[in-house]
Amino acid sequence: MSLSTYTTTSGFLLPSIHSAPPFFTEQPNPTTQATATAQWSRLILAYARHKKLFILRVEDVETSGSDWDEILRNTRINRKILPGYLSNIMEAMVAQNLAVYEPVKQTRSVLVYWRLPEEWAEVLYDWVISTGQLNTILTFYDITDPPLESLLTGIPISLLRKAISILSKTGRSQTIAIADGEGVRFLARSK
Amino acid sequence: MALRRYTQSTDGTIPIQALLYNDEELFATQDNVGIYDGSQKSLDHQNGTVHITSHRLFYIDSHRPGRKSFEMALSYISRTEHYAGLFKSSPKITCHLSGDPITSGSHEQGTTHAHFDSWECEVCAYRNPPGLSPTAARVCALCGVPRTAVPPSTNSVLSHHLSRSLPSSALSSSTTLAPVLPLSAGHKNPVACPACTFLNHPYLRSCEMCASDLTKQPMGEYRSAPSSRPITPDPDDGDDDSARMMKVSFRKGGDKHSYAVLRRSLKSKAWEGSSPGFTSLSAVNSTDPDNGTTGGRSGISGILRTVETSAKGRETDMRDALQDLEALMVKAKDMVRLAAELNEKLTAAVATVPTDAGSGKGLADSQPEEATFIRSSLSQLGLQISNTPVTLDMMKDERAWFDELARELAGVLQGAPHTRRDDIITSGMMKSRGIIALDEVWGGWNRARGVALIPPSTFLQVLPHLTAHTSPTIRHRAFASGLNVLHTPPYSTAAFAARLSGFLAISGAKTTLEISREEQLTVALVTEMIDAAEQDGGVCRDDSSSAIVGGGSGTGVEVRWWTNIFVGYNWDGQDN
Repeated sequence: MSLSTYTTTSGFLLPSIHSAPPFFTEQPNPTTQATATAQWSRLILAYARHKKLFILRVEDVETSGSDWDEILRNTRINRKILPGYLSNIMEAMVAQNLAVYEPVKQTRSVLVYWRLPEEWAEVLYDWVISTGQLNTILTFYDITDPPLESLLTGIPISLLRKAISILSKTGRSQTIAIADGEGVRFLARSK
Repeated sequence: MALRRYTQSTDGTIPIQALLYNDEELFATQDNVGIYDGSQKSLDHQNGTVHITSHRLFYIDSHRPGRKSFEMALSYISRTEHYAGLFKSSPKITCHLSGDPITSGSHEQGTTHAHFDSWECEVCAYRNPPGLSPTAARVCALCGVPRTAVPPSTNSVLSHHLSRSLPSSALSSSTTLAPVLPLSAGHKNPVACPACTFLNHPYLRSCEMCASDLTKQPMGEYRSAPSSRPITPDPDDGDDDSARMMKVSFRKGGDKHSYAVLRRSLKSKAWEGSSPGFTSLSAVNSTDPDNGTTGGRSGISGILRTVETSAKGRETDMRDALQDLEALMVKAKDMVRLAAELNEKLTAAVATVPTDAGSGKGLADSQPEEATFIRSSLSQLGLQISNTPVTLDMMKDERAWFDELARELAGVLQGAPHTRRDDIITSGMMKSRGIIALDEVWGGWNRARGVALIPPSTFLQVLPHLTAHTSPTIRHRAFASGLNVLHTPPYSTAAFAARLSGFLAISGAKTTLEISREEQLTVALVTEMIDAAEQDGGVCRDDSSSAIVGGGSGTGVEVRWWTNIFVGYNWDGQDN
């Protein structure tokens, strides 16, 4: 019963525990389950970062061919995580601030914080500086879908808003209402 | 006169007891009596003693007992009167006599005492003992067939008819009977039974085949016979009533008692048959003394009846004997209790001796020997007390009781260590099993006790004491589901979890069923134990319902057990 790591076609290195069938079963023992949940959270975050996935839905388990297939299923051992179990894991992640329900007021899908909003804020600010767009008014679209692909490409608007609001608290961003939506202007770090 | 006709003289010098028949009883004796023959005083019998027996009335003269004494059969007495007495006249009992009197007198002693011979029955060859009353002597005591060659019973009306039907040769000596001897020839011929037409011997009273009464037909002839035949002329014939009576005058009292006895004796009619069954039968015919029969005492039916009676008697005896046995059984219970108490005391004595072995060495030597002796004696008596259940009343206090119960339970579970090895009882319930459900233990224990069953509450109280008396120690364990078990050390939570983990690590994931097979335990029990192990984080589960292909609900969800792979797991996947 030697478990080994496995590299998926997308180049992700799956942990050895992913090859153990019990990993896909919710454990009644709370201690064991806590460990299992922690491993699942870590796996989800790592995979999300690897594939730059932001939204995890319970439905991703039920339909094959989703972005999360490589971790939610293990065809080599004929196991998949059950929706209820995934939902519990999602709940645990939300509780640990590793994810947030997106949209709010439901529990079927989460926005995975493989970077925390504060980290995203820093990433955003660094990107603005590196691209020399300080004091320039940018639309959200300019940020999420820049001509040159960045770390922020594809970031959900809600997460972007959070990052911008974090920056605005330190006076580094300013939200401006423009004709066709919202714009943001990044300011230099106040000394 | 009446006296001469109805009485016969007796040798009064012989004590009255010697004059009685074997089946005759003396009821009353009264002295200072005089006899009236008819209404006149009988001068010869004016001072004597009267004895009233079940069969006869004796008068023993006090002056000349040898010559003046006489006896009279009670069967002659048809009626009695009591006169209480007035002024100088004494109280008197008047006996009215009837029936065919004895022929002529008091010199017939030869025939009378012929009854006292022993004789052999012609039919069954039974040797009848002498000394029976005339009625009883007439019939064989064993088979009930009338005696054929018996001399006529001269003092019995009943036998009178018989005597007339007897061969004359038997009576050749009795010349006075000659006139009555000529008989109709028909009496010697076989008698046809009115019911089945079987030709019976003329002496039989009931049919040998069907036991129906044969006497009716001949009886008519008998009845007519006396009137049609001449009998010995008697001077008193045609006398008035006074000729046929006799008075007993009680000069010095005692009349009332004697009269009562006489009445009773007359009523019981002991002379008609000795056994009570026959008296009632003949009582029907009591109005006519001629018709007195011995009932169904003759023939095969008589034998059968005798056998029946004796069987009934034996049955009664047997029932009495069994009653004794039952009483003994009741006592046996006490005996067993006594044995148990004795054993308990011995056990206590043996237990205390080793503790003070230093002080009483000699005592320690002698006591077990005595104890062994007494115990072996008890076991020889069938009072085996090695497995006597312990009850509260044997114990001083509750604590000692629980302790003793625990010891007993330990014996049930692990086998008593001191008993013989080849005994089946020695192998306890947990000899080959390390873990056993509590309900089974409880049931098994109570079955072993047999009596004084242990209630579950007491049972649970005993369990904590069990560890002190068992080796290896047996402990009580309650599972989360509420299942309670007793287990040996290998089945404690930790030991089992360790063993399970090792087993799973070596042979891979296993289902509950496979584990129960490996552990040789029931599935339910193993399920409980694995659940407990899982609670402790020893194992984790793999539910087949999370399979991609197959599995899911409706396909027999199966859980496979794994060692807890999450424990000590370090992330070895992609970190960034």
